[in-house]
Amino acid sequence: MNLGDFLGQNLSDFWSYTGFANATPEHFIMLAFGLLFIWLAIKHDFEPLLLVPIGFGILVGNIPFKIDAGAEIGIYEEGSVLNILYDGVSAGWYPPLIFLGIGAMTDFSALIANPKLMLIGAAAQFGIFGAYMVALALGFAPDQAGAIAIIGGADGPTAIFLSSKLAPNLMGAIAVSAYSYMALVPVIQPPIMRLLTTKNERLIKMKPARAVSQNEKIMFPIIGLLLTCFVVPSALPLLGMLFFGNLLRESGVTTRLAKTASNALNDIIVMLLGLTVGASTQASEFLTQDTIFIFFLGFIAFIIASMSGVLFVKLFNLFLPKSKKINPLIGNAGVSAVPMSARISNNMGLKYDPSNYLLMHAMGPNVAGVIGSAVAAGALLAFLG
Amino acid sequence: MGCLFLCVAGVMAQGRKAICINEVMVQNDSNYVDDYGMHHAWIELFNSSFASVEISSMYLTNDKANPTMYPVPRMDVNTEIPPRQHVIFWADGEPNKGTFHINFTLEPGKDNWIGLYDADGKTLIDEVVIPASLTVGQSYARIEDGNKGKGETPAAEWSIRDGSDNGYITPSGNNIIIDKNAKIEMFKNDKSGAGLTILSMAVVFSSLFILCLLFYFVGRLFTKTATIRKTKEVADAGVDESVVTPDSGEEIAAVCMALHEHLNMHDNEDLVLTINKVKRSYSPWNSKIYSLREIPRK
Repeated sequence: MNLGDFLGQNLSDFWSYTGFANATPEHFIMLAFGLLFIWLAIKHDFEPLLLVPIGFGILVGNIPFKIDAGAEIGIYEEGSVLNILYDGVSAGWYPPLIFLGIGAMTDFSALIANPKLMLIGAAAQFGIFGAYMVALALGFAPDQAGAIAIIGGADGPTAIFLSSKLAPNLMGAIAVSAYSYMALVPVIQPPIMRLLTTKNERLIKMKPARAVSQNEKIMFPIIGLLLTCFVVPSALPLLGMLFFGNLLRESGVTTRLAKTASNALNDIIVMLLGLTVGASTQASEFLTQDTIFIFFLGFIAFIIASMSGVLFVKLFNLFLPKSKKINPLIGNAGVSAVPMSARISNNMGLKYDPSNYLLMHAMGPNVAGVIGSAVAAGALLAFLG
Repeated sequence: MGCLFLCVAGVMAQGRKAICINEVMVQNDSNYVDDYGMHHAWIELFNSSFASVEISSMYLTNDKANPTMYPVPRMDVNTEIPPRQHVIFWADGEPNKGTFHINFTLEPGKDNWIGLYDADGKTLIDEVVIPASLTVGQSYARIEDGNKGKGETPAAEWSIRDGSDNGYITPSGNNIIIDKNAKIEMFKNDKSGAGLTILSMAVVFSSLFILCLLFYFVGRLFTKTATIRKTKEVADAGVDESVVTPDSGEEIAAVCMALHEHLNMHDNEDLVLTINKVKRSYSPWNSKIYSLREIPRK
């Protein structure tokens, strides 16, 4: 073999390994999605902490390479670095760690002060089951339908946790769909809230919540854990970590642990989770008809969840005395998506009455939504797992 | 360390309880062959848990008076049974052939008692009496793998397998083939999904309703206790009760906000003139000035 042949053959081999030689139109579509996510996050501040890692993960996961080379590059190739990082998603241990951080960050005072707001968090879970019914009608199997429907809980970690158990093959699409709609909450929810409420209802002023004692705050995670996990043990990984994180925060003697859980640990897991979820959307796995259905169902789920939260408050108000009426603008916050949906309630309230601050009231159903969606996930896992 | 040891020991003991005798063949003439190509009686153990369980140092025996007859050897990686998996022990009385060849045999034509003891040689993990009626080529197997039953008679838990279509013999395999997810099959009847919706929403609502109710009463209790304590303090201090102290939270919030504003007014300390001396520990070795550019600010 002369030098020319040698160089030619090696260059040809090298070319066959490059992204250019292995690229397909699907890769470019996915890369465009990744860029769109990054653009939305940086330019429009749509959940940047999630969309930047996910968007970049989409780019990472869709760099074309020679699949049959066995180079241990792809996220689905056992032993590759991405595959090792992806274990937290596929085995479902990132979501409970995120819940630990959420628990350590969340102040449940609003909920403890006004416990009836918990029911709004429960009502908003209708979104999950509405989407479940539509998913069944579209031909999904019950376990797949359950995994897709959890998008309606508006809780990314819960969606990943449940889909990793019920429909691992759909997890990438479910996770991306859940986080996309969470980022779009400011776009999706306000029209629904306006549509379902009258001007008078939007002007309802709620009494300031009472001060909550430290003892009550300490009791909440303990009682919450015992009660919810006795009913739905399958939600233990999520609720156990949520309430554990909250106890670290409220006990007053584990401040260092609470700080680590809510800052460094949470940030690390968010980065890894976002990146690997994004990378799991390899074009060959992601661009299917099922993905389109999943995005459609996610949208339906969000709408039903927001509607049911608002409508439940309206229904609830029929039974409450005039002085204790609830502003239905906080109903949307039952869908979880902490704290974005509570902020929307507050902004909407201020728009109609600049002195009507609803944020603390909306935080009640908002954090109840986190518990509610975890319980709903546990119920789905118990019934379909 | 002590706590850690106790925890690990507890978990191990709990795991070993999941090991059970799952299927036994006493007269093997044409069934499963061992690693020497020989037919021998065999005893199948099953790990009914969803975690790997190490069985070394446990004991297999066919003599109630001698519970430590065959100690499962240590230092063999194969003695760790994966979740929901089986291992076969050959009752050939030839332990020198390897870990899974035990030092006793089973006697055809009479009842054979087999016991499985924990590493302490005292705790009986599982036992079974293989009936004398078992003929050549038949096995005695649990109807459902690992199902130890709850006080039922052996007849309810065990069956004699003869190798026919209805009684297949499954050394190192599941005694019952599960080819469907019963739950999913059941929910396939719920075509519209209304059943699951009602069930799940009932679960969600009842969980949160009970929590709501509980904290409603806890809240009332704490408020009442606080009021009583406050009244007592006021009475003890002889303060005029008509003077209402601020406790709505709004005043406190306003004070907190003012303090926050005051204390954080110089949050961009680098960019403002200040009389405060800015101290930073510096060493050329940790200086990032020369190696990194500043993080851009939006």
